[in-house]
Amino acid sequence: MKKLLEKTHEAWLATLMTAFMAKNAKSKQTLFEFSDIMFRHFTWIEHDLIVRGMDYDYDRDHIPIKVERLKTMTDNLLSRISDLELLTIECEDENLRHRIESDLSYISKVIASIPDESVEAFDMNRKYGDVELSREATDALTLFLFEESYKEYELIMIYNYLKAHSDDEFINRIFQIMVDESFFHLRSFCQMMSDMGILGVPRVIHRSLYSVEDMESFLRDGIEEETAAKEQCRELSDAVAADSEELASFFDFINYQESYHIDLMKEALEYYTSSKSDK
Amino acid sequence: MANPKNYGSMDDADAIGIGENPQNGEKVIIYLRVNEKDGESPLIEDIAFQAIGCMTTVVAGSIITGEAKGIDFDVAEQLVAVTLGMLENVAPEEAACSEMVALSLKAAMDTYSRRKEEPDLPAMIYKIENNCVTENSDNGGENR
Repeated sequence: MKKLLEKTHEAWLATLMTAFMAKNAKSKQTLFEFSDIMFRHFTWIEHDLIVRGMDYDYDRDHIPIKVERLKTMTDNLLSRISDLELLTIECEDENLRHRIESDLSYISKVIASIPDESVEAFDMNRKYGDVELSREATDALTLFLFEESYKEYELIMIYNYLKAHSDDEFINRIFQIMVDESFFHLRSFCQMMSDMGILGVPRVIHRSLYSVEDMESFLRDGIEEETAAKEQCRELSDAVAADSEELASFFDFINYQESYHIDLMKEALEYYTSSKSDK
Repeated sequence: MANPKNYGSMDDADAIGIGENPQNGEKVIIYLRVNEKDGESPLIEDIAFQAIGCMTTVVAGSIITGEAKGIDFDVAEQLVAVTLGMLENVAPEEAACSEMVALSLKAAMDTYSRRKEEPDLPAMIYKIENNCVTENSDNGGENR
């Protein structure tokens, strides 16, 4: 089951990255939907591991994605799905196995029919559409996208892990919102990276990040980091404002979203603190 | 940045070393697979690293582990010394990332060497002297 979790994790990310590469709108949408399904498979397998009391982590292998044709990636996805189909034998829960197998069977048929196209997500053009950015603004945006795409992936995995290990309805509502918001940010940043020819898979996160022992300290640090991220968005917005109103407005929007995340984390912190004092 | 070299963990590592920034909790973990022949300096056959930190740390990790792969401990000690020496003329906040990588490599080699006498010795942790005050925050990028 641990192998199935790891390989599903890799297939999810590979499918998501392929979606960012695709320029054909229908292919892109299909791949996004399938990556969402694979992430759900990941959470189901994780839940099964927890129920069975098995130790697991979020380690995974390197996922090569630097290709020139989309078909290279779709062929790779089909091979990953074949491997997953063989690994589902590890699933003792028959209903879960059947659900995953049925999804994978359909997904592989559709992926096989995705039309080939050239991939420009790695051409290092570092231009965002028609926007003419200065060298400094381009460098700042490039660094921001690399840092933040990883951070959003990290957040998805951390909050997913915390949610998987909590049966508290109040706190899980907050964790789920954070996962959903981080997915939106990850998609936005990775799509920009693809458009700028600098797409990359977020690096593997270390276990110490998601296996949180002191929740209050984690939330306090998280609030500080969100505050710093807000400032970074504001600085980036200022840096690109002269060149692109569209980009400046996008980073202002992300900045305001961080305020909401801070409120949610404060809410969670207050909940933890008061629960502790009630005991 | 898109594809750092040698990034990840190593299941069958012979030694692990950690470089840590005590100011913000950032860490670099280095994994070594070592081949040692009698009378010769141990050879770094394979190396991997993981970073809990910023992109600069990841880039520094990619470069330094790339240099360390395939060299023996004597040369790797020189690599650590040269790296730390170069940082003397760099602003502390810029030096912190590379210092953390260099010290984690040193910690991994020291762990390997000392385990010959203390087989149960846990991974050694060396703390950096430069303070990394990033634009981001000073709490290490661990949660956001």
